[in-house]
Amino acid sequence: MAELIASILLLAGAVFHLSAGLGVLRMPDAYTRMQAGTKASTLGNTLVLGGMAFLHPGWTLKLLLIIYFVLMTNPISSHALARAAHRIRVPMTPKTTVDALRDAGEQSRGGA
Amino acid sequence: MIRRALIVLAVALFGFMFAGLSVHHVERQSLPPLGKRYVELVPQERGAPNVITGILLTYRAFDTLGELAVLFMVAAGVGMVLGGREGDHANRLSDATPPPRQASEIVGTGAQILVPLIAIFAVYIIANGHLSAGGGFQGGAVVASSAVLLLLANPKQRFDQQMLASTEAMAGVLFVLVGVAGLIFANGFLDNRVLPLGQFGTFFSAGAIPLLSVLLGAKVGCELSVIIDRFRT
Repeated sequence: MAELIASILLLAGAVFHLSAGLGVLRMPDAYTRMQAGTKASTLGNTLVLGGMAFLHPGWTLKLLLIIYFVLMTNPISSHALARAAHRIRVPMTPKTTVDALRDAGEQSRGGA
Repeated sequence: MIRRALIVLAVALFGFMFAGLSVHHVERQSLPPLGKRYVELVPQERGAPNVITGILLTYRAFDTLGELAVLFMVAAGVGMVLGGREGDHANRLSDATPPPRQASEIVGTGAQILVPLIAIFAVYIIANGHLSAGGGFQGGAVVASSAVLLLLANPKQRFDQQMLASTEAMAGVLFVLVGVAGLIFANGFLDNRVLPLGQFGTFFSAGAIPLLSVLLGAKVGCELSVIIDRFRT
């Protein structure tokens, strides 16, 4: 039973990793690519590591630690990268209509 | 069209290459003679369950010392190229790039949580080098990664260069001194049997290997932090 759950989790994780790879290849600009890669690979990692915990119950604590670390670092690093890209004005795809970060910057500058 | 055909050709060639590798790959059933000798010798003679660190800090410790020298030269070279006088540097950069701004709240908070975790992990890697995967070089690199995170979270952060440099120098001198102690009290330069081998597999065991590992970690961590600090604009 545990093996079945583990297999399902591992497979689901692999699917999310695949979608992350597809997103990085197919998305139109840096920001959407970053988002696709980060979101899908964070979930994919969590699922794969969770599946490993079912396969090897002895590793559960260590795997939980790794999951925690990935959940902490992955979003923060992509956030920092995206902000840096925004700051040096990496172009967005024309389909993007909302730029909340620019608007917030303008507002704070206008207010001050 | 030609470009596309070339790409297809390149992919096909790579596929052919890797197919050949995976088809003809046979897993080794036994170790080659030299590897077998090391795998038997390191736990017996040096008391270290982790054969790789055991080799790197005993039989090949002199090479490790050489690697330290190479890293030191890298740090010195980076310092020479990127160092210069403070004033120069600031003037040259001020036209090109805007002044560093405060990191966002998310990065700052994340760094506050992560830096202690990373530091603990680094100490674990360094101190358990003789028992499990890890050792001084790897742990030192992890120390430097926490330095990167600190700099990202607070770009105006200043490291105490003097402290880093003297720690690094102390670690280097002590490393060589342990080696010389091996020359006097044991069988040769950097012999780990200057300290008792202890119970196999416990934290305080494998003679001088943990000590050398800690010194290596301190030296590598300080050196890499100095290099990273030099790249700050």
